[in-house]
Amino acid sequence: MSLYFPLMTGQLSLASIGFYSLGGYVAAIMGTHPELAPLREALGFFMYPLEWLVALAASMLLGLALGYPALRLRGIYLALATIAFVQILGVVVLNLPIAGGAIGIFGIPQPFEDRLAYVWFFGPLLALTVFFLWRLERSGTGRLFFSIREDELAARAMGVNVTGRKVQAFVLGCALAGVVGAMSAPLLNTWNARQGTFDAAVACLAYVLIGGARSKWGALLGAALLVSLPEVLRPLKDSRMILNGLVLVLACVYMPQGIAGLFARRKS
Amino acid sequence: MTRVFLSLALIVTLAVPAMAEPVAKPIPIGVAVATTSNIALFGEEQVNGAKIAEAYFNAQGGVNGTPIKLVFQDTAGDEAGAVNAFQSLITAKVVGIVGPTLSQQAFAADPLAERAKVPVVGPSNTAKGIPQIGEYIGRISAPMTVVAPISLKKALAINPKIKNVAVLYAQNDAFSTSETGVFQEAIKALNLKTVALQKFQTTDTDFTTLVTAVLGARADLVVISGLAADSGNLVKQLRQFGYKGLIVGGNGLNSPNMFPVCGSLCEGILVAQAYSPMAETPVNKDFVKKFTEAYKKAPAQFSAQAFTAVQAMVEALRKVEKDSKKKITAMELAQARQAVNKALLSGMVIHTPLGEISLDREGEVLQKQFYVSTIKMNPDKKTGAFVLAK
Repeated sequence: MSLYFPLMTGQLSLASIGFYSLGGYVAAIMGTHPELAPLREALGFFMYPLEWLVALAASMLLGLALGYPALRLRGIYLALATIAFVQILGVVVLNLPIAGGAIGIFGIPQPFEDRLAYVWFFGPLLALTVFFLWRLERSGTGRLFFSIREDELAARAMGVNVTGRKVQAFVLGCALAGVVGAMSAPLLNTWNARQGTFDAAVACLAYVLIGGARSKWGALLGAALLVSLPEVLRPLKDSRMILNGLVLVLACVYMPQGIAGLFARRKS
Repeated sequence: MTRVFLSLALIVTLAVPAMAEPVAKPIPIGVAVATTSNIALFGEEQVNGAKIAEAYFNAQGGVNGTPIKLVFQDTAGDEAGAVNAFQSLITAKVVGIVGPTLSQQAFAADPLAERAKVPVVGPSNTAKGIPQIGEYIGRISAPMTVVAPISLKKALAINPKIKNVAVLYAQNDAFSTSETGVFQEAIKALNLKTVALQKFQTTDTDFTTLVTAVLGARADLVVISGLAADSGNLVKQLRQFGYKGLIVGGNGLNSPNMFPVCGSLCEGILVAQAYSPMAETPVNKDFVKKFTEAYKKAPAQFSAQAFTAVQAMVEALRKVEKDSKKKITAMELAQARQAVNKALLSGMVIHTPLGEISLDREGEVLQKQFYVSTIKMNPDKKTGAFVLAK
């Protein structure tokens, strides 16, 4: 979903996974660092929302700092720049002692006894994001985003602050990725540099492509399909990855607009 | 992103409460290792070893007459995969879990088993802090703090004149970074001098700058912590540029997968091993014979450790039956899981292909015997063997 925000302005960015990783580190460090122990005790359960807020702020700041120079690039160059960002972030966390090097951080405290209860974290976030997108798409800002996606030159000629809008969309995506990362750290129990690799960035891109890049439902559907497919296919044992790949190839060939594109075509 | 949420949603549909149910027959033991992704090479070796163990112990009559059945789940190479595999095994009502492959995965998945009160035996998790994850977490793989220094001592025995050591390690690999720490401490303890400390990435192929640094520092011993492919290339380039001294490799070099990479230049690398197929114990001879029959090659350490982990589960199950004088299959699942864990951590001594081992109260392994091997390459320059160093 976080990739969809920059895509609203027609920009392909792979930086989301970097912010996801960043948010996770923020939560992991805040959840385990010994010097923050009194704060954790004082806040109790409210530590988790605080972690999200810090992750949100950190992601937005870094997103702004990265967005202004990077979003002057277009298309494939922007994608390359964001890949570079993900790589740099990976090397930085490997070398920061506070991030635990390659082993990362483990023993992150759990807010819930049961893993299912994490739905109370992710469910509202998802609902909120979908609601926000729904409103955004109908607001003036959303329409400005779309105008840039459809024709950047025309939008600029109409007086749209193209770079400013692009950065706005980009930062929104970064913020979402950061918060999701902060929520995921306790879920995974451990956080390390492997969470923010290029492979993961490509996986996220695949979610959007399979789902459909032109609709908010696309990213959601694509992720739902691609994440659950290997799990649903578990009974097939070793051949499950082959089937998984086959589904992906077929989806790309027969649904160039993604799953969401399929629905849109049916409607029209 | 959303994938974490979605895997959760999936678990919702899979989760079935596992209360007050009897243990199935044959007794299910979970094995969660990586059979896909970039660590599948290790995982496959583990699956092979575990399968030999299943056949071997069932031929002995299983757990006092009740056969065991291994339930395999693929963890892939990442943390989320390990978590999902553990979750499926726990809901599949196994009495215990052998796995996962990587320590990083263990930090993610083991807390799950701990909360479900399912005993876990780590077959290849060597990082610091694994048994401390919880009461139900143990391992049969010796931590590298114990294994690594042994090969250094061997190098000194071969060439007592060694003074200057160069230490090289893969910075982006968790195992290698911890292992190099252990090596560096051991080097200090042995009064040797570290003249070069260099980092590389497991994805690197060109090591020219590293090699120049090592040669410039006039090192007479090189210690490498990395994975098979990168270390193979590194060794090759060291030798090609004219390094003549001894090379000590960490556990990542303890793999025949390195042989095709450095070819005849692999010759003479010293590696400390927790397992040697040449160990002369009855159970190891049986294991090597069965394994060679089935897979036409000698078992690697990963296979032997997987065998040992399954063996630990089986022996714990036998001990539970002996102590309680009740059949496992007559017990409730939760009760059986608890009893198995207690038996595992009781300090009982098991005779395994790794030699005599036992687990202490915390779940840490106590292993009696380690080996230092040196690589001997065959004339075809593609294959070779680990031969016990004299």
